[in-house]
Amino acid sequence: MAYSNYQRWKTTPISDTAAPYLSVIIPAYNEAERIVPSIGAIASHICDLGFDWELIIADDGSKDETVALVEGLGLVNARVLKAPKNGGKGSAVKRGMLAARGKYRLFADADNSTPIEEVTRLLAKIDGSQTPRYDIAIGSRAAEGAQESNKSLLRRIFSGGLRMMVKYVLGINVRDTQCGFKLYTAEAAERLHKAQTMMGFSFDLEVLYLAAKYGYKVAEVAVAWVDAPGSKVNPTKEAKRFIKDMAAIKRNDWRGAYAA
Amino acid sequence: MQIIEEITPEKLTLRLSGRFDAHETPQVRQKFTEHAPKNALIDLSGVTFLDSAALSTLVQAMKNCRERGGELTLANMPQPVRIIFELTRLDKAFNIVNAPDAP
Repeated sequence: MAYSNYQRWKTTPISDTAAPYLSVIIPAYNEAERIVPSIGAIASHICDLGFDWELIIADDGSKDETVALVEGLGLVNARVLKAPKNGGKGSAVKRGMLAARGKYRLFADADNSTPIEEVTRLLAKIDGSQTPRYDIAIGSRAAEGAQESNKSLLRRIFSGGLRMMVKYVLGINVRDTQCGFKLYTAEAAERLHKAQTMMGFSFDLEVLYLAAKYGYKVAEVAVAWVDAPGSKVNPTKEAKRFIKDMAAIKRNDWRGAYAA
Repeated sequence: MQIIEEITPEKLTLRLSGRFDAHETPQVRQKFTEHAPKNALIDLSGVTFLDSAALSTLVQAMKNCRERGGELTLANMPQPVRIIFELTRLDKAFNIVNAPDAP
């Protein structure tokens, strides 16, 4: 591993005319306590891969020191997208994906719950190094070979129930829609996130529904996942919201809101 | 995370490997409470990631050693850990070495 790659990335701006190979988008709401170690781990690993990349922190109206903290790191290839108020994780991911310049665009949760090392296997699914070539590669805690650590029983039941509903109600053939580790080609990211209307927890579901509707090929890649402490997901509240949003997705589609 | 412990009259040594996060910090805190060492060395060569709870645990352990007139030394930081320490500026606060047998 070359520490000099990191030092160069930290201090030397990448080209502002050519698209970087990868954009990493971290949605952040009140993440002052967790985000800096995650940025360190991401920067260390991606710099070792040897291509140009940019980091985007899509703040979601944090009330803590998240923005000041990230801006104070002095990383010339990192940008903070500020939001005047909290609009939901979906709004942060949407702003990040649409502001990104990368040929490939990854969103990763701020707690590094899916270790950044997993990005290599997702990239291989969409960068042409493997066949078939996909448009989207999503981290999955349900695909064969996935490893989950420290996941509570409540969260297991929550996840299992949602998987069943997603499959039979929306017809999405993806076992884990909610893993916060998803990689898109630039074209898929722009089209899907422009069409995205949901800004809360269910935005992943809507984006995957749209991906199927628009004919994008989605690869589900088994990843390691650690239930990081401090999760902001309230299973009961989110399950209710999720069911409501599934109905809203079907309604939107019937009304023609997702016309290609 | 795995912890290998060595204890001598002079020093507590912990060799950590894996992900050092809030799920794992109680084990490390317990080692420092149990042995109350004056001097300690933590070998981080096998650590893949550490979070803010882990950093906080290390800071507390360093303070405890210094209160006893000793020192906590961190050894063999892999690149991701080194960068996390730099970004949090904790590299300035700790005694960091690259040899596992440092005093």
